[in-house]
Formats: sequence, structure tokens, C-alpha cells
Amino acid sequence: MKAFLTVFFKELIMFFRSWGLVAVVLYSFTVDVYIAGKGFEVKPKNVSVGYVDFSNGVISNKILSHLHSPEFQKPVRFLSEEELKKALFNRDIMVGIVFDSDFEKDFFEKKAKLNVLLDATAAAQGYVTLAYLQNIVLRFGEESFPVELKTHKLFNQNADTPKFLSLAEFLSILTLITVILSSVVFVKEKESGTWDIMLLMPVDSKIIILAKSFSQIAIVMIGTVICVGIILFGVFKLPMNGSFTAFLILTLLYSFSTSGIGLFVASVAKNMLQVAQLSVIIMMPIIFLSGSWTPIYSMHPALQKLSLLSPLRYYIEGCESLFFRGTSVFDLWVNFLALFILGVVLYMFGFRKIGKLF
Amino acid sequence: MIKINVVKAYLKKEFSELVRSRLIIMVYLMPSMILILFGYGIKMEVYNVRTAIINYDKSQLSYRIISAFEHSRYFTAEVVNLPEEKALEMMKRAEIDLLIIIPESFEKHLLKGIKTEIGIFVDASFPFRGLTIQSYAEGVLLKEAQEVLQSRPSIVINHRNLFNQAMRDENAIVPGLLGIVFLVAPAILSALLIVREKERGTIFNFYSSPVRKTDFVIGKLSLPFLLHSVNIFIIFLWAAYLFKVPFRGNFFIYWITSEIYVLISVSIGLLVSIVARTQIVAIVLTVIITIIPGFLYSGIVMPISSMEGEAAVEAHIFPVMYYNHIIYDTFLIGQGFSSDKNLFYFFILIFYWLFITVIGVLLLRKELR
Repeated sequence: MKAFLTVFFKELIMFFRSWGLVAVVLYSFTVDVYIAGKGFEVKPKNVSVGYVDFSNGVISNKILSHLHSPEFQKPVRFLSEEELKKALFNRDIMVGIVFDSDFEKDFFEKKAKLNVLLDATAAAQGYVTLAYLQNIVLRFGEESFPVELKTHKLFNQNADTPKFLSLAEFLSILTLITVILSSVVFVKEKESGTWDIMLLMPVDSKIIILAKSFSQIAIVMIGTVICVGIILFGVFKLPMNGSFTAFLILTLLYSFSTSGIGLFVASVAKNMLQVAQLSVIIMMPIIFLSGSWTPIYSMHPALQKLSLLSPLRYYIEGCESLFFRGTSVFDLWVNFLALFILGVVLYMFGFRKIGKLF
Repeated sequence: MIKINVVKAYLKKEFSELVRSRLIIMVYLMPSMILILFGYGIKMEVYNVRTAIINYDKSQLSYRIISAFEHSRYFTAEVVNLPEEKALEMMKRAEIDLLIIIPESFEKHLLKGIKTEIGIFVDASFPFRGLTIQSYAEGVLLKEAQEVLQSRPSIVINHRNLFNQAMRDENAIVPGLLGIVFLVAPAILSALLIVREKERGTIFNFYSSPVRKTDFVIGKLSLPFLLHSVNIFIIFLWAAYLFKVPFRGNFFIYWITSEIYVLISVSIGLLVSIVARTQIVAIVLTVIITIIPGFLYSGIVMPISSMEGEAAVEAHIFPVMYYNHIIYDTFLIGQGFSSDKNLFYFFILIFYWLFITVIGVLLLRKELR
């Protein structure tokens, strides 16, 4: 135990002595998450619209008046289709609407066509904007339509992206920092040749490895508390519908299994350049398979099986459930268990691979 | 003037070190991996949405709606005989993403023209996915209702998707990924090449030798630049042949812009290595200052034209936006330099590169701090 604590505190002191590193880690957990959360929206917001109106009618004006903030910017009028196209090609506007000269007449004969030009390079907004436009036109044309869709967006009523994105950014920073920090503590010693001396000490190598990793986990946990407390709760007003303690325990388990990945990287890498590249290469599939980009149920069945190996999958699901859905801890036991098992397996590998001389 | 011999010596030394440590494989593996994984990984469409339907009506029309959901590849629908609270409980446990409630005597009301309501509950803890699911579901329901009522809408939207007719996710995302790939990979490599010497102490060779700053910088940075110049072609092949993104523009413009962009990235690496003293700081710093703007301010996830306030300002500060504008043009639009905006952005990139490099060379000290 004494050996464990000595190594543990040695690493902590080493970390806090390196001001640059402390600054970078602090920056990542605060400013970076803030920028990412504030930075952008994925839903159609502020979409730039341009139009050409040959009909000069009441109906076209009425339709345009439905395009308002926050979803749309004030539509810009163009005098000819060429000008409209030029603006689209320069990507100054995203949606171009053309009203034919017969538009109003056709409208009363129920055969009006609305020509919409969409910059589909922004496919994400493209899909949703189009659906939105269709809805506006439909509701506009069919005021007597007897079916009303009552849509409730649960857990995040306004589909607030900053809330979600700040959380997502926090998750990726946490993953990145944990993997890099916990592999670097080993590789640094490997590079300077002191790792062999560590192993020659009359202390169980497992204890040294654990102490080194847990010192980095401790650093990450401090970062987590700062980030969640100040940025997520303070700035972005994230709800906490579940139990905060459960979140902390889940984070602990997650950083345990991620530092296991760091251990794996450390056992393969010989110098820091390799750490940098290996950790990027290993982390990308983990992020990719976690369901943060493509929902797991939309993936190819083989990938769905593989995604069971991504610790981020369990953590994201757990975090979303705890923050937004307010799921009870007992319904999340799978996530806790899976993270624990993944961590233990990775550590077993690490013990064997770098816990031995030569 | 530049001393060619010094530059050559540095190039040779760095190159042989990179080959000996087999890191050269990584130089070529990492950019391709980023492109392939994210190119396949980022999908805006959602399939097999786990849907639960509660049917209180049990009429022909409600069964028709259910079968529309069951036959759509976007949904994996299931009729559940549960009270609403139980179904919402399922959503709370993240077992379903969409819940649709068809009220009693829905068909009767509809045919009589009395207003009826269908309840749609979407799990929006993943906001964009939630919105997409919502628009799919509303689309299916409205379409069915319209067909039953045989009411024709008075306005039909006749939409054309410019630049990406089929609305392929790959076409929209892969060109944007180039902006990330060529920003992250060269920057990491060039940052580490200098910081490594600092950490090992071999930087003193440079401090004490008569090598000049400019020669040192050129010598150190040409290797990442040359290696990643090859990547410009490799990445192009992936994009054009693996992801089948159409290429409508001028290849020369693609090539020259990418070279300048790699130069920008390499000089960002130079800036990082001036600030950082240890390799770990350099790695984390580079990843953070390149990946985040690479994603956020590149126009992939949010079009530049919809940004406002801070975001718009920040987007204009980073080089990604300018590069991506030209790259999207070369791939999907094909206006080339006949568009003033492309030409303007191209000069901004050149200016950007000169600016960063000059700052880097000025800040680099040739003495012990």
C-alpha cells in the first residue's frame, strides 16, 4: 500500500509540476468544451434563404412570412434566377425558392409548384430544412386538414443542441485526455530508460502499474468535476435527472477502462510520436462504434456486435440516460458492468505485456 | 539565403529517423484511416428506428398507418399493448426511440372531418437524431392521412438538390473531412519533430551551432510537408474512387490549394512547438486546436452561412473554412477560379500561410530560455 501511494503521489506531483500540461488539460476541460457547445447547431437554425418572385402575389408573400427566425434568416430577394444561382454556387445562401409567374393562378387551381433549390452539400440541414418547408407548405395549404400531429420531444424539449454538444465534447475530451495521459506516464519512462529500473524494484509490478494509472485517473476525475460543475451545469444548464453519484461512479469506471486502452497503447508504443499516432488510430474506431455518429441500431449487424467492445458506447448511453432521461441506476447495471469488465480485461493484458522485464 | 546543405542534412536525418522507427507507416496510415472511418461513420440518415405504436383505435385506417411504419426501412415498428406510462418508461430506459399513440375513434373523427390528434413522442436526448426521426414520422403520418382523405395539396414542392443530387451523405461529408485530415496530421508530425529535440535536450545542438533559424525551420518542416504532399494524392484517390464522390472541378486547383493548406498546418505545428516544451503538451495542444475547428468551423456540420455571432467570427479565424470552400467547389460544384470567392479565399490561404510562418520564425528563439 505504501508503495502504491508513493508512486501515486509521485505521478501527481510530476503532473502538477509541468505547468504546460496542467494548463492544456484545464483548457480542454473548460474553454474547449465551452467553444464546442456554443459553437454550432445541427438543426436548421438561421438557414439562409434567397428567393425570386415572378408572381408578385399575396400567396408567395404569405409563404415567405412563414420563414422566420430562429430557423430561417430573413429571405433575401433576388431579381433573376441567375443571381439566385450565383449566390447558391458561392454558398452564400442555402435554400433558393423560385415562384413562377403562374404561381398564384395555379394555387387556386390546386396545381401550384414551388421550385426549391437546395444546397445539398450541407446534407444534415438539407434533410431537415426540406421537411420543415414541406410542413409549412402543407399546413399553409390545408388549413382544414383534420389530423393534428402532437409531437413531444422528450428529455430535451427544444432539441437544444448546445446542451448535447457540450456533453458530447466533454465525452471526447475525457476519452482523449485519459488515453494520452495514462499511456504517456509509461512511455515517458520507457523513453528515458527508467521503466526497467521501476520493474527491478522489489515491488510487485502490478502495484506500480495500477498506481501510475490511478494517478492519471484521479487527474481526469478532477477535470471531470470542474468541467461538469462549471461548464455543463453552470454555462449550459444541463439537467441532471438521474443520480450525480451514479454519474461519478460511471465516469470512474469509464476512465478505468479507457486508461486500460492507454495501457495497451503504452505497451505497444516505443516513443511519444507513436503514442500520438496510435492513440488517434485506436480511438477513432472506438468513437465510431460508440453510436455517437451513427445510431447502433442503424449499423450493419457485424458492426453492432463490434460496438459491444467500445467502452464509449456504454458511457454515452449511461451519461445520456443519467443527464437527460433520468433513468434509475438499476436499469443501467449493464453499462456499469460492461465498463468494469472491459477495464479488467485491458489491465490483465497490460500487466502481462508491460509488467515484465524485456 | 537558404543554405541548401543544411536543409538537406536535416531532411536526411529526420527522414532516416522516421523510417528506422517505422513511424513512416503511421504517416500514411493515419490520414487514410481518419477519412475512411469518418467517411463511413458519419451518417445523417437514420435507419431501423425502434418504434412502439399504441393503437387505441383498431380501425382499418390505424392498421394502415401501422403497416406503413412496418414497411418502411426507416422504422422497426412494433405494436405494443401497454399503458402509456409503461411505454414512456421503455423510452426512459433507452429501449425505444419513437412512440406513436393513435387515439380512440381516430378513423371515425377523421372521416367526419372532426379534428383528431396523433401523439408522437421522440427521444430527443440526441437532438439531431430526434429531429430527423420526428420529420420521418410526421412525413409517414401525413402522407397516409392525405391518401385516405384523397385531398391533394394545393402546393407541391418541386425541389432540386444542387451539387449532390442524390443527397448522398458521402458527397456531403467526405470533401469536408479533407480539411480535418490535412490540418491534424501534418501539424502533429511537425510539432513533434521540434519538441522532441527540446525534450531530449538535443535542441542545444541547434542553439550552439551556426545554423540559422530560417534554415532550421525549413529543414525541420520540409519533411512533414513533403510526406503529406504524397498524402494529398492518396486521399484524393480514396475520396474519388472509394467513396465515389464526383470530381467536377480542376485537379490543379485541388492540388495547389491542398499544398498550401498542408503548409499552413505544418506552420501551426511550428507555433505549437514554440509554445510547448514537452511532447505530451504538444500532442494534446495540436489535437485540440486542430480537430475542434476542423469539425466545427469547416461547414460539415453547420453551413458557414447559418453561423452568427461568435461562431461566425471564429469560423473566419481558422483556415479550415477557406480551404473547405475551395475543396467543395473542386469536388461538387466545379466553378474553379472563375468564381471570385474561390480566388479570394485562395489568396487568403496564401496570406494565412505566410503570416503564420513569419510569426513562427520570429518567435522561435535560438537561445536557452
